[in-house]
Amino acid sequence: MSTERTPRTDKELWQSLAPDRDVAPGAISDLDFAAWLEGRLPEAVAAQIDAAVAADPELRRAAFDLADVLGKPLPAVPVRMAVRAQALVGFDAERQSGRGSGFLGRLFSSGTRYAVQRAAMAAMAIMIAGTGFVVGGGLGESFAQQRYGSDVTQATSSEASTELTDFSDGI
Amino acid sequence: MTELNQTDLRVLTTGNKRAWDTFVAAAAPVINAVVRRAMAAYRLGEEDVMDAAQDVFVRLCANDFRLLKTYDPARAGLGTWLAVVSRSAAVDHARRRRQSTLPIDDVPEAALAVEDRHVEKIKIPQGLLTDRQTLILKCLYDEERDVAEVALLLKIDAQTVRSTHHKALLRLRAHFGEEPP
Repeated sequence: MSTERTPRTDKELWQSLAPDRDVAPGAISDLDFAAWLEGRLPEAVAAQIDAAVAADPELRRAAFDLADVLGKPLPAVPVRMAVRAQALVGFDAERQSGRGSGFLGRLFSSGTRYAVQRAAMAAMAIMIAGTGFVVGGGLGESFAQQRYGSDVTQATSSEASTELTDFSDGI
Repeated sequence: MTELNQTDLRVLTTGNKRAWDTFVAAAAPVINAVVRRAMAAYRLGEEDVMDAAQDVFVRLCANDFRLLKTYDPARAGLGTWLAVVSRSAAVDHARRRRQSTLPIDDVPEAALAVEDRHVEKIKIPQGLLTDRQTLILKCLYDEERDVAEVALLLKIDAQTVRSTHHKALLRLRAHFGEEPP
């Protein structure tokens, strides 16, 4: 029987060993991880991320997933996904970033579409209201109507009270 | 990705509706792809994918776009950064749903192996291998990835991966007195 040891394969050798540092050296930021994935980091900084990724199986899985997704053509996006996301930022936010907060500010802010059309519509509405007011006799007419109406009411009530007195006297 | 990297972050983070809509249209493909990949391991349905993607967008615009404001274009591409943020949001979402069911074929053998606790592993002395060498050996043997995948991950040639692996093994064999096979 031979006592000579069969040389181990590279994998067998590696699996019989434990790296000196199997604990992640510290949390790494999303930006540093992204820069590492792009191969943008200087060697010294990249070495820190290398060590973190080597020590953390979850980080290694994330790295492989991301490298794979980013290295391939991206699939089509469901329309609903984009619509839901776009609804997160509404016109309220845009209004706040506009030039003015009042009616005029909103009307003429650079972000508002159809400002000229809206202004024309508003002017037309004011003109129609004004014309209607003038044709209808304005404030003078309505005061006169009000006054006349109150005189008529007073006359009617005094006639009624006389009639009532006559009626009670008869009793 | 080109459209995404042309995003005017200054306008976007003021809450401009049109800038946000344009950003969503440009960012949705990468967010969708990353979320789908991350959620695949958890066997969750389409609704969960949609919700996780929405979580990513909510994180980006919440608290007056606080997260988006932390992005620095000088350090990494917007698409890559969004991919990192999306994966982390998707994993959080999936964990909250607590339905982690990874198909057994997708799990590396090393992760399933039951370690014999009586076999004490020999420590590799500090400094014997560089961090890059350790990472490459872990990817090749612990993760069972092939050389092309490791090269794609580290943005280096496949030949560089092979030579780094070779040098690392030479050092280990020399240190532990192991004959090459």
